Amino acid sequence: MERREALRLMGAASVFSVLSSDLFAATLRAQLAADKGSALRTLSAAQNEIVVAMSEVMIPATDSPGAKAAKVNEFIDLILTEWATEEERKIFLEGLAEADRKTNALFGHGFAAASAKEQAAIVQAFDEELAVSRNEKLPKQVRSWELTLLLPFFEQMRRLTLVGYYTSPIGQERELKVEIIPGALHGCVPAEPEVKR
Amino acid sequence: MMTVKKPETHDAIIIGSGMTGGWAAKELTEKGLKVLVLEAGRPIEPDRDYVEHVPITEMKFRGMADRQETLKDQPIQRTCYACDEWASKFFVKDTENPYTTDPDKPFAWIRGRQVGGKSIMWARQSYRWSDLDFEANVREGIGADWPIRYADIEPWYNYVEDFAGITGQAEGLPQLPDGHFLPPMEMSCAEIAVKEAMARQFGRERVMTIGRAAILTQTHNGRAACHYCGPCHRGCITRSYFSSVNATLPVAEKTGRLTLRPYSVVHSLIFDSQTRRVTGVKVIDGQTHKAMEFQGRIIFLCASALESTRILLNSATPEFSTGLANSSGELGKNLMDHIMGGGADGIIPGFLDRVQFGRRPNGVYVPRFRNVSSKEKNFLRGYAYQGAAEREGWERGIHESGFGASFKSSLRKPGPWKMTFGGFGECLPNPANFVEIDKERVDAWGVPVLKIHCEWRDNEKALLHDMMIQAAEMLAVAGAVDIRPFNHHSPPGLTIHEMGTARMGADPKTSVLNKHNQAHDVKNLFLTDGACMASSSCVNPSLTYMALTARACDYAVSQMKKGEL
Repeated sequence: MERREALRLMGAASVFSVLSSDLFAATLRAQLAADKGSALRTLSAAQNEIVVAMSEVMIPATDSPGAKAAKVNEFIDLILTEWATEEERKIFLEGLAEADRKTNALFGHGFAAASAKEQAAIVQAFDEELAVSRNEKLPKQVRSWELTLLLPFFEQMRRLTLVGYYTSPIGQERELKVEIIPGALHGCVPAEPEVKR
Repeated sequence: MMTVKKPETHDAIIIGSGMTGGWAAKELTEKGLKVLVLEAGRPIEPDRDYVEHVPITEMKFRGMADRQETLKDQPIQRTCYACDEWASKFFVKDTENPYTTDPDKPFAWIRGRQVGGKSIMWARQSYRWSDLDFEANVREGIGADWPIRYADIEPWYNYVEDFAGITGQAEGLPQLPDGHFLPPMEMSCAEIAVKEAMARQFGRERVMTIGRAAILTQTHNGRAACHYCGPCHRGCITRSYFSSVNATLPVAEKTGRLTLRPYSVVHSLIFDSQTRRVTGVKVIDGQTHKAMEFQGRIIFLCASALESTRILLNSATPEFSTGLANSSGELGKNLMDHIMGGGADGIIPGFLDRVQFGRRPNGVYVPRFRNVSSKEKNFLRGYAYQGAAEREGWERGIHESGFGASFKSSLRKPGPWKMTFGGFGECLPNPANFVEIDKERVDAWGVPVLKIHCEWRDNEKALLHDMMIQAAEMLAVAGAVDIRPFNHHSPPGLTIHEMGTARMGADPKTSVLNKHNQAHDVKNLFLTDGACMASSSCVNPSLTYMALTARACDYAVSQMKKGEL
């Protein structure tokens, strides 16, 4: 939508009243994204920096590329924009704000500006909180078909980072070396020795 | 005056092109009949439509499915495991194909409307029934006795297996007769360990065997062996699993006697009260919504259990006011599905230096052991397990703690061996589980829809509980750790083994179809899909549908040749 078209719609009271807040917010987000020439539609530049940094702490570049190179942040932005519910999106964005608050309280600056060691400490704190909340939910739910992001922030972040990374071309082809067509079945064979990447 | 050209009369009209429609098309064209197949959905071109090799990297939502879109268009279909981001296009839009239920009794009607029907997405498990199944109703005084026994259908199991190609291992068990098998697929390390532990503990009472599946483990009838890419339900460009698109329809096509008409939504059948025959089919064109008619000498209903019954209910006449061929009053009654959702999983320690190579599109199977030689106090009949043991993949990291380089490195390697058993239990025929026409609603083509009344009863619930307990016990016997029993609510329909509602039987007063799947009331009308079933067994039903269809086609053509039809 052209900016002036969006503004025209916003100016017309009758149209404005039928626009859901969701649609309105999406329109604004699209506008902002278009203005910046960025592909991101939900994450702001500042939020995106946190996502990029945090996903890289979780899946860093080692002998293979990490979450940043795999553009996990773009996948997360897509899921937040087109897949998640408003409630799930809110939890995620609030979680990013919390990451900043936690880092500020401990180190006096935001998460994206923190050192690698500081970022790891914050992620460690989130991870421990999640482990505790999971233990409270025992017994573990098995085989629930309905995929949901109505979860604590870090559980969302963990799922989306892992899915985003391992289903990316880097994750599938370089990290996991997935073969689409194995061509044979062997039920029980020695694992191949690990190859240097 | 406008002249109307007399429409062509086909030797046979087959309604539906899925599992049974494909078989009927093959059998009837091979026997010399000119056949019209009416398919409600679109044509399928394997080169264009199959997506089994599309990598997850190319999927927009990376396997998480288009949640908002499917919530809107496929709120029921999306609950099926196979309706994934790749294959959701093979499932109907619920918005176009409504049906109703009682508010507190959901029924998940999972449907595929396209050439090939659900045979494109089916799970390919292929098991023979035994007389333990065929004699169950009469032995217990439940429902109506089957008009056939294993000896009647055995040659037809042989016949369809020889064409389709079924991989499996002979076990010599009376409750699960062996078939004409292609070589079995290999079990994984942990499955072999569980199988051996079960054999030590249970002997021949509980046997674990490799799944019997309509997948080629070697070249067969001009179709290539499986290449173990894994997701068969998205199609198979090498035609290595059985579907009507991959196997039966091409054979029918080759005879030159097949006309396949997609986008043909059947409204109802046309009955001539003078000749007591069905003379044709009323069709709504799926694209133009124009009404039209087709004439045929015999009609085979192969539209799927509930759709075939819906067509008969919508074909009521003054004489058959409650539905065509329903002098018995049994049409629509005794809807069944297999109850699933009970089982257990656990970790099998060891074998961490070993892997499975290739994605096996098949599991392991534990044939029914309840009420076989034993007599259970809490329930009638029994259940069988399907399962598998695989090493866990990167997905396990979602539920673990940890992050960083060491975490990433650990997820690069496969995790421990996880064994899962899930039970499939027999559902008793019960006239209170039934379907009728909902006079208030029509589908996108103006055809009145079904109202489905169905719920699990006490016997099915007792099976579900027992399948959870026994699965956990079997895992414990095999030395599994972290055993998690489960007992999920799964609505009827979701197992996609829906059957019954136009049962076979010897007595026209208590059944809709005779022992040849021929309507008692209308002799040139046959129905060979799941609607014909008088009981449900606990084994996957498709192989039996195939055998019954081939058998009915043989009978129909022999009757035509004798001038009886």
